[in-house]
Amino acid sequence: MQVDEERLREALSKPAEHGDDLNLEEFEHESVEKVEVDEDVRKRGLEVGVDLNKASSLTTFLQVDHEIAYKTVQKQFREDIELMSIREALERYSWVRERFWSLVDPYADKYTAYNALKPAGGFFLRILEGRRLHMPIQACFLSYSPGIIQSVHNIIVAEPGSEACIITGCTMRKRDQKGLHIGVTEILVKPGAKLNYTMIHKWGPSFHVRPRTGIVLEEGAVFSYNYVLLGSVGSFQSKPSARLEGGGATISMSNIIYLDGSSRMDLGGDCSISGGGDRAELTSNAVVLDRAKLVLRGRISCEADNGRGHISCRGLMLSDEAEIYAIPELISRKMNASLTHEAAIGRISEDQLMYLMARGLSREEAESLIVRGFLDVSPLNLPSFLEEAIKKVIDLAVKGF
Amino acid sequence: MRGVLLRIENLRVAVRDKLILKGVNLEIGDGEIHAIFGPNGSGKSTLAMAIIGHPDYRIVSGRMIFDGEDITEKPIYERARMGISIAFQNPPKLHGIKLKDLLARIASENGVGERFLEIVDKLNISQEHLSRYVNVGFSGGEVKRCELVQALASNPKLMILDEPDSGVDVENLELIGSFLTESLRGRSALIITHHGYILRHLKPVKAHVLIDGAIACEGDPELILNRIMRDGYRWCERCRLMRSG
Repeated sequence: MQVDEERLREALSKPAEHGDDLNLEEFEHESVEKVEVDEDVRKRGLEVGVDLNKASSLTTFLQVDHEIAYKTVQKQFREDIELMSIREALERYSWVRERFWSLVDPYADKYTAYNALKPAGGFFLRILEGRRLHMPIQACFLSYSPGIIQSVHNIIVAEPGSEACIITGCTMRKRDQKGLHIGVTEILVKPGAKLNYTMIHKWGPSFHVRPRTGIVLEEGAVFSYNYVLLGSVGSFQSKPSARLEGGGATISMSNIIYLDGSSRMDLGGDCSISGGGDRAELTSNAVVLDRAKLVLRGRISCEADNGRGHISCRGLMLSDEAEIYAIPELISRKMNASLTHEAAIGRISEDQLMYLMARGLSREEAESLIVRGFLDVSPLNLPSFLEEAIKKVIDLAVKGF
Repeated sequence: MRGVLLRIENLRVAVRDKLILKGVNLEIGDGEIHAIFGPNGSGKSTLAMAIIGHPDYRIVSGRMIFDGEDITEKPIYERARMGISIAFQNPPKLHGIKLKDLLARIASENGVGERFLEIVDKLNISQEHLSRYVNVGFSGGEVKRCELVQALASNPKLMILDEPDSGVDVENLELIGSFLTESLRGRSALIITHHGYILRHLKPVKAHVLIDGAIACEGDPELILNRIMRDGYRWCERCRLMRSG
């Protein structure tokens, strides 16, 4: 899709619908430091579940600031997938140029507009028809230079009948680093394809994050979108939106959040069901502590026969100064659609603590077990290597518990 | 003569400001099984909670000696580590904590290691059941078996069973009964039972009838249970009045 530069420039002053408004002038636009992929960078990768050391995955993609540092696909999988920089894909395929910005509106707000005006990397990933991949495809984005806006645009296409699991880790070099990550991701899951897309993010208290994600599911497609954020973030706002178009498609969006410090996070999920018998499920499990503020917006709208949707939100409050604001929205335009939601927010139950303490656990041990239980990823039915990776990340993040 | 494992002396316990136990005396010897009978609201579960050390159950006076040590002031987890375990009547649901993970932890901290898997087998607990969250979506029988396996995974000296036979179907009762017959051998236990079904399998050495927060009657479990079944707890009330009179 062609973008209109003038409209984009106008949109540069448009705040996002939700979340804190940022002044983009306060950030750096160019990478000021020479990027080195050293042990430190590899360690940051591991913190977000991406192993840059070994050939433990099918592919490895690493982008540091605006530069693609690695882009490798193991030889035996080169017939199964295509992985290239977005720039290369736009040059090579006219259909990618047509699809570009078709699932995310470039004029939506200043962040999408900035991304469209100043594209700086990102990947194009295509899983070819009927290919079933049993190893993870991994990608990592690292913000390296202080104060920089990392503005990436990714396109993922799962061709009909394909199956794959993608894990992307996004993080930064230093915990106290300032910066802004704007990640635009457009995902197309074609008929009968199964895709698992898991993001693990780790930021710091001065870092701001504005992911923009658009997804389309065609007939019988199955898509799991899992978002894991652990620790602090200056501000975060995102509302990935999915359209279920083909009938018999299933999407599950799951958020696992452990938010501390003075973090401010506004996280949504928006699914519109327009194919008969489609199913959408939005799940958020969140632990907030210190002065962290979290808004969880879930929205499912249904315009198709026998559509099903469920929003579930469970929040655990570990501080009186923290806040969780859950806003589930259900919109039904069909008599035979079934949309439901449930939400429960509270502190650690004293009954649960006593129960575990009666088994010999101290109060601290019991609290730790309950908090970790809250962040349990096993209901997401992830492949075991991914479940293990996330468990390790959670263990690192909730060490104090 | 067997040693005394638990001695409760003139125990008075309040919940919030209400006095529930009004001076309970009880002695359980090493390897002895005792039964507690009593109508609803007589203080049976309060007694169990006071023994394990639940902080909502405030000791007003009296003391408890376990294994030679005064445990009256000890926190709940220390008592558990000393060898007091409980199978709760109405346990909470633990979202996110899998039964197998909790059992492995209890077992490893008490030197039981992998042997807890034998208990799992005997209680007919499936792999699927083990990988579910504790008490989430469990049937009545599954809850009871889950409580028993946890209570035994710590290899306790004293096991408190709070209504192990309530809300359980006949098949589960058979399974639980024969399992307990074997597992409690050589162990001390205090079994709280309202209707006494579990005593078709277990033979306590002594029964205590708790009425209005005090032991109203003690003696042969079978005789007492038969009498309660025939005449109800009014008989115990009269008996207590006669004794105090």
